[in-house]
Amino acid sequence: MMGTVERAWLEDALISLAERSGRVDHAVTEAAEGTLLPAIPAGLALVAIGGYGRRQLFPHSDVDLLLLSAGDRVGEKQQQAISEFLQRLWDGGMRVSQQVRTPEECLEVHDRNAELNISLLDQRFLTGDRALYAGLGQKFPRFVENHRDDLMRNLARLTRERHAKYAGTFYHLEPDVKETPGGLRDYQLVHWMAQLREADGARVAQPDAPAELRQAFRFLARLRWFLHRQSGRDNNRLTFEAQDAMGGSDAAAWMREYYRQARAVYRAAEERLENAEAQSSGLFAQFRDWRTRLSNRDFAVHRERVHFRSQHEMEQRPELMLEMFEFAGRHELKPSAEAAQQMAARLKALREYFEEPRTAWEALKRIFSTGHAPAAVRWMHETGVLTALFPELEGMECLVVRDFYHRYTVDEHTLVALENLWKANGGYGDLLREVEQPALLLFALLFHDAGKGRPGGAEAEEGHVAWSLRLADAAMRRVKMPEADRETVRFLIGHHLELSAAMRGRDLADPRSMEEVAHQVGTVERLKALTLVTYADISAVNPAAMTAWRAEQLWRLYLKVHHELTRELETERIAGAPVELLEGFPVRYLRTHTEAEIAEHVALEERSRGRGLVVEIERRESAWQLTAIARDRLGLFAVLAGTLAGFGMNILRAEAFSNRWGLVLDTLVFEDPNRTLELNPTEVDRLRVTAERALGGKLDVRDLLRNRPKPKPPSRKQRVGTRVRFDGEAGSTATLVEIVAADRPGLLYDLASAILAQGGNIEVVLTDTRAHQAIDVFYVTVGGRKLTGEQEAAMGEALRRACGE
Amino acid sequence: MKKIEAIIQPFKLDEVKTALEALGVDGMTITEVRGHGRQKGHKEVYRGQEYNVDLLPKIKIEMVVPSGLADEAIRGLAAAARTGKIGDGKIFVYEVVEAVRIRNDDRGDAAL
Repeated sequence: MMGTVERAWLEDALISLAERSGRVDHAVTEAAEGTLLPAIPAGLALVAIGGYGRRQLFPHSDVDLLLLSAGDRVGEKQQQAISEFLQRLWDGGMRVSQQVRTPEECLEVHDRNAELNISLLDQRFLTGDRALYAGLGQKFPRFVENHRDDLMRNLARLTRERHAKYAGTFYHLEPDVKETPGGLRDYQLVHWMAQLREADGARVAQPDAPAELRQAFRFLARLRWFLHRQSGRDNNRLTFEAQDAMGGSDAAAWMREYYRQARAVYRAAEERLENAEAQSSGLFAQFRDWRTRLSNRDFAVHRERVHFRSQHEMEQRPELMLEMFEFAGRHELKPSAEAAQQMAARLKALREYFEEPRTAWEALKRIFSTGHAPAAVRWMHETGVLTALFPELEGMECLVVRDFYHRYTVDEHTLVALENLWKANGGYGDLLREVEQPALLLFALLFHDAGKGRPGGAEAEEGHVAWSLRLADAAMRRVKMPEADRETVRFLIGHHLELSAAMRGRDLADPRSMEEVAHQVGTVERLKALTLVTYADISAVNPAAMTAWRAEQLWRLYLKVHHELTRELETERIAGAPVELLEGFPVRYLRTHTEAEIAEHVALEERSRGRGLVVEIERRESAWQLTAIARDRLGLFAVLAGTLAGFGMNILRAEAFSNRWGLVLDTLVFEDPNRTLELNPTEVDRLRVTAERALGGKLDVRDLLRNRPKPKPPSRKQRVGTRVRFDGEAGSTATLVEIVAADRPGLLYDLASAILAQGGNIEVVLTDTRAHQAIDVFYVTVGGRKLTGEQEAAMGEALRRACGE
Repeated sequence: MKKIEAIIQPFKLDEVKTALEALGVDGMTITEVRGHGRQKGHKEVYRGQEYNVDLLPKIKIEMVVPSGLADEAIRGLAAAARTGKIGDGKIFVYEVVEAVRIRNDDRGDAAL
């Protein structure tokens, strides 16, 4: 174990950097005079570069040395002298990192060795051929001035690559104080960018560090000095052990200070990087200027940043800050530094304002539903608005929880989880698009680990999940989230560890195990949401945590439980239901609908009683939904599919249930690709009335479809062949019919009509569209039974014809 | 010394680890793998579409133990990993010629 740090020498660390450089200067000069210069009296100069050139040598950092040579050939005798010289330095305990270069090489842009160009910014003559060095010293500033953009671009690229290695965050549990974002390398970046910017042909300046970074530099420099001394080598990793030594009894509080300093450096570096990248791309500048047009009454967009139009308005109406993040999340535009400052000045007032219960959930939901919601939440976190709104999240800020697998602080883990959720692809991406309220997933993830900051931490009697629930409950009440949504969030937080536990500890091939998991989860919608939360949570533990193997395991678990929840497709019927409508529906209906939806269906059924049918159309989170209740008759589904196609709508998925009294409930979720309904609100009503007329037999759907424009057929390469497949085993009472065909408007209507013409009844429909390819799955019965071989053959033929084969 | 390599069901890992640790085996390497033996793959249906699951997720455990401990370790491992159903996995045992602890050059059983 390491002892407590001796504060006294830490205070002297900065002086020590220069002192060590002085000592090394002395040693290098002496060694050169003893070995090198007698053998090569002219045509060779020794130049300190990099950290050594800046006179910032940490106890074990490399000594960067340039051997500036007049010619590019070095004779054998001279080579021997160089080896002897370097050996002497190594024997003196210095790790020399040397390069032999001609002045011409030092005046070229090295795209593949940008480090050389950058290290020369801090050059300092030591000894040797002074006239040779003078030539370089004179030309170098002009070189920098002429190639400023290239050098900046290379430096920015190197930095981005380094940041990417650390997942672009400074919130690491055991950061590298040199390389991690916000570390000493980023501090140098700010310095180098200033040097590049200010170089004027006559000299490369040594600009003063920005005032706000001086403190951070002292903090980080002392820390690195300590780490070198403590480990006896060039070790820059701030291990848990080192944190204990620095922070004493309260290492967590000390780490918060570290993150505060790293954040200051990171922000400054990020700003310099963005400026450099913007300058080096003409295309980007054009794009940026184009984006200025996004400005509106409340917000101005300038150089990819959002500004408040009126500070006064912002002070009067605190909600405007939330609207700022909605705007930012919609257009992926970061709030400007000025806007961040204005908000920072209002945080106290904001907190007081939102301490009172207010209907903030609607505004939050809009932020959480934007295309770049995770980025918006990150900006809310960075500006302090998130904790002003939800003081419940303060406990997890910069919180280090020590274990073997977590890489980030709790708040960063949370933000990464949100980002990973949004980036989910493959099956998980599909699931996310199917989830009704992604905003609730984000909210649940935001609070899922909030309880880790509870008093007593891991030692506390109450587990972190229970505490997270308590914090989320208070927050949800205050923002007036509807009770049904709160219930969903409570479920997701309360069960957020269960699927990963099931992945590890349950036999996925054992039906009874899967039945138990299905029982815990309850409904398909919840299973989808919980699978996504689990996916996001695991993949935010560290960048390598979500291996392909684990993603596959989780997906298998999802499939098994999904199958378990939906397998009673037709067999089990609801009996003795408290509500008449539900009597005789398949049990699956209960599994796939929330209580709120069931209540809506019951209310709808009451409305249908007068005319015997009713159609309702409403906007869902990302799509529209048509719900119809009518007396069952053949072809009901085809009529609805045809009506929607006639209005240019794209059907995403559909379901049909019939009850004991011959009443049918059809729901069709659809997209409005041309935004017809959104831009012409009266069309919603026209669509509803048309659907009702079609259902009532007062209108022929074929007339609606006749005027639809024909889509452009896909190129030959993309053309998909029609595939019709029957599966008698997939459902217990219905035959599964899967059709893969080239998509076109009205296809679903034609397919449904073809099934109808063959005497088939559609029990369930699941549809999906990929590029120009439609994948439609029907569960079909004829006379209440599965299809016979002959019926399959005839229906297959009819379906292929409907696809245009 | 013997090297024991076992392919087991993922959900049995915790039980197997506990059983081995109780026997005094605490050094082991664990890998997430995919494969199939006689169990072969199978088909799964999701939203009417079939997914072929050819290679099933499994866990591979590798350890080297002193020869005297090998039988006991194999018995303990098998008992913990067994469900009695197809897909429980397999155990392979190899002779080990030498073991070296890199840090201090310990050899043989002392290096384990």
